[in-house]
Amino acid sequence: MFGQMIHSVTRFANEYNQFFASGMAYLGAGIAVIAGLGPGIGQGFAAGKAAEAVGRQPEAQGKILVTTLVTQAVAETTGLYALLVALLLIGK
Amino acid sequence: MKILEFKLFSPISPNVVSTLIIVAVLAVVFTIAGLKIKKLNPAETPKGFLFLCVLLVDFFTNFLKDYISGKRLDFFGPYLFTLILFLSVANTSALFGLTPPLANIGVAMSFSVITFFMIKIAELKFQGVKNKLLGFLGPVKPLAPLMIPINLIGEVSTPFSMGLRLFVNLMSGVVMTAMVFAIVGFVGSILAGVILHAMFDIFFGLIQAFVFFMLSTVNLSMASES
Repeated sequence: MFGQMIHSVTRFANEYNQFFASGMAYLGAGIAVIAGLGPGIGQGFAAGKAAEAVGRQPEAQGKILVTTLVTQAVAETTGLYALLVALLLIGK
Repeated sequence: MKILEFKLFSPISPNVVSTLIIVAVLAVVFTIAGLKIKKLNPAETPKGFLFLCVLLVDFFTNFLKDYISGKRLDFFGPYLFTLILFLSVANTSALFGLTPPLANIGVAMSFSVITFFMIKIAELKFQGVKNKLLGFLGPVKPLAPLMIPINLIGEVSTPFSMGLRLFVNLMSGVVMTAMVFAIVGFVGSILAGVILHAMFDIFFGLIQAFVFFMLSTVNLSMASES
């Protein structure tokens, strides 16, 4: 009786395994992209501070623009890692 | 879609082909510019193509002066200038029908390796081996066993993340363009291509080239500070 149960469970798992795995991969890809929240907040914060700085010192606009671009690109990195993970999961 | 697939012996990927084409074109342009510069009369104002070259070099030299100065600028300036010229041509190469070279992780990681070696060269040349090794221990000496692994990871992670950032940015552009083109069909893709290529190739590509150049500059100036 117990052996039969084990057998049926293994068969069930074998039959549904590939669809289950690919479905979970898509779900994981969706969850991974939630990491985009962080870079969004961070980049917005940096942009807001940059706008404030330009308002205070309009003559330093060039330097502020360069600094903002670089810091935003650094803040973007975690989001890009999430995107890479998501694309890897989709391509599985 | 296989992103991380890598074989030692395989037909060259389209990214590498476009890299080679860009390298050949840039080599020809640079050689012509160099030969013309040699014959230039310093008393006259240069015209046309040469004027553009002189203007570009002057602009970047002035820009770099704020970050690195003196002898170090002479040492790193040519490398950084070559970097931004290659990257800005490579990232906008999709406009000429080529595959963007940086959308391949192999090409992007080779940029990581180049950056890693440049930072090491800067440290060895301007800091010396002894200062560098002492820097691994951290400011507080009793905490050295804790700091050494962290510092060793930090040595590798900076260039690695720079290369990966370049790769994912360019690849996401390629993937999104392909997705939209697959949805809208042939006629729609002519219309959508105008917006997509302007955004992903020109805007993001040039910004990423500039960001890589800026981060290289900042890292090199930090590494070569004594």
